[in-house]
Amino acid sequence: MSATTFHTLEEALGDEHYPEVDLALRRGRHIGRDDGTMYEYLVDAQALLEAFYRRFGCELIQQSDGYFYLLPSGDRLGRRQLSAGEMLVGQTLALLYLDPATLQHGGIVGREALLQRLSALLGTDVLVRTLDPRRARRGKYDERIAAEAVRTKVGDALRRLAELGFVDVLDDTRLRLRPALMRFAEPVRGLGDRSAALERLVRVGEVVLDDGEQASEDDASLDEEPAP
Amino acid sequence: MPRELPNRSGDGSSLVTSAPPSNDPNRVIASLARDQVNLDLKTVDLCFLAGLYLRADKAALASFEEDVLIDMFEQVCDVVEPGAENPRKRATHAIQRLREQRMLARVDGAGIVRAGDYALTTLAAAVVQYFLTDEALTRESLTLLTGTLSAQLAEVLAAAKKATDTETWKSKVSGPLRVTVSELVSGIERRQRGLDAQQEEVQAEIAKLLQSDWFSAVDRCQLLLDTTTSTLNELNEILLRDTHLFVALLLEIQGLATAAENREAEETVQRVIEHVDRIAAWGSARQQAWSEYYQYVHRYLRDVVRLDPDRALSQRLRDQAAAWPTSPFFLLVAHAPSIRLLRALEARVERPPVARPRTEREADPEWVEPENVHADIEALVAQAIDGGASTLAEVSSRVLPKLPEALHYAAAGRVADAVGRLARVHGEHERPWAPVLSRLEVEDWTVDGRDMP
Repeated sequence: MSATTFHTLEEALGDEHYPEVDLALRRGRHIGRDDGTMYEYLVDAQALLEAFYRRFGCELIQQSDGYFYLLPSGDRLGRRQLSAGEMLVGQTLALLYLDPATLQHGGIVGREALLQRLSALLGTDVLVRTLDPRRARRGKYDERIAAEAVRTKVGDALRRLAELGFVDVLDDTRLRLRPALMRFAEPVRGLGDRSAALERLVRVGEVVLDDGEQASEDDASLDEEPAP
Repeated sequence: MPRELPNRSGDGSSLVTSAPPSNDPNRVIASLARDQVNLDLKTVDLCFLAGLYLRADKAALASFEEDVLIDMFEQVCDVVEPGAENPRKRATHAIQRLREQRMLARVDGAGIVRAGDYALTTLAAAVVQYFLTDEALTRESLTLLTGTLSAQLAEVLAAAKKATDTETWKSKVSGPLRVTVSELVSGIERRQRGLDAQQEEVQAEIAKLLQSDWFSAVDRCQLLLDTTTSTLNELNEILLRDTHLFVALLLEIQGLATAAENREAEETVQRVIEHVDRIAAWGSARQQAWSEYYQYVHRYLRDVVRLDPDRALSQRLRDQAAAWPTSPFFLLVAHAPSIRLLRALEARVERPPVARPRTEREADPEWVEPENVHADIEALVAQAIDGGASTLAEVSSRVLPKLPEALHYAAAGRVADAVGRLARVHGEHERPWAPVLSRLEVEDWTVDGRDMP
């Protein structure tokens, strides 16, 4: 397809890919090169769809790493912030994505490697306190049961990250990393101050700093229903 | 004295163990499990075997004298485990270990008369060959193999056209197809596996280069990628072109076999066609897999390595992730709820009540014969004792036939109980077993008549 495939919005919306792409974007999915014709459709219709989605109070973003996503800037479209589990797992997967060792297997990593990297990065105690704060608040916890709880939380986070297009779950043990994971590295991509980068990202509505909205760790979907 | 190797072919195929006579996996597995087959080779053992194999190959030896074995083991030991004590004793143990595992065989038959001569078994040769073989598919080897294969198939086709009797079909068509053609196709397949291993090495090499040199390794990685890509493209082109030709020739042979009603030849051709299809499928599958890998690495080099020449991003991201629990932030994503589908309106359906036809369900009780086997047993025992039965066996033999056969075993105990209560009984210290009817025996007592109440 070429950039001139669609001349009008009507043509773009009339394309067979539009319903699937639109639903995926509105559900928070990141559509990348791995998605084949869906990605190609977005590249072709980008100019027309950017203006179209702006009317819904959201931005159609294209990143240089090769993926699109929809970022709500107003209240017209629902949005949610990722949970602590998703954030930690996402950042660890992004680290694995950058690791040359992952290249050997074409971007495929095992769940075990993810858990090992997470554990090495944060330590078991911090992991339990972050992923399962209720258990940690109770004071002393059984290490075996806590480890099992962490594995469950990581599994849940992976499932939700897969729905959002950050990773493909190939089977019970293997994951394929996708370029959208680089969103987790966005605050540190520049060489400047991380705080300043975060402030900018907060300003453009990419991230929130306050986890006050995080009512429950178990409820990852902090939904903001669209304004009526 | 060393002897010459008999009939060594260049590719070492004569040393490869042939397939077991039975191809039934269940039987093969059961037989291996029954014999408790296992291999336990240490590095020094493998090096020892490799040393022997290479020496035999170089000097065309068929067997080794015991001193040669020990000398070779000592040389290997110097390299693998320098400073190890008692190498001679260790050599003796190693030889014994390898003989037990069927890697070395004594071939002289002289027993204890003199020191033996030993040869590597086909198993040992296969193991060593695996580590030594460096056969990968190259443009030259593939062109040579496909050229030979095509000439061979043309010969077989010519023979099939002239074949008039079953014997000719067998010797000129089925035989060459089964042996020569299959060997050539297997040769291509074996080299394909070699190329697979080479690709894995390239992938590991690229990861290693980036790990150690990062930005400086980009050009070398690109070169490795491009070289492998062009090799695969070339091979795939040859495979696509030549496998079409092979299949066309084979189909022609199969057509002739069908016309001649030669089932054996037909089946043999079919097997070769399937084999050829498999090597053709390998080409496209590998090219597809490599293409995905190529794109992934290419993107990585462009988006990750070139944009971060100092490799600072990984470290900064690692720091960010480690500090995240203390200074968290959260990504925002769109989250439009799914459209709610209201249930379609439908008229309320009156469900009929569950009912069954009215009828008189109460039935009058019937008179039946009373059942009291226990009371019957007691009465029958009393009757038997009164009738003059003088032993427990005799009482049982009179009572049991009057009861259903299924109860005989259980009733025998009750009979003994009733006899004990109703009569005076005496038992010897070692009570003899006495037969009762045809299927039972009891430990017998003497019965002296009934106790008077």
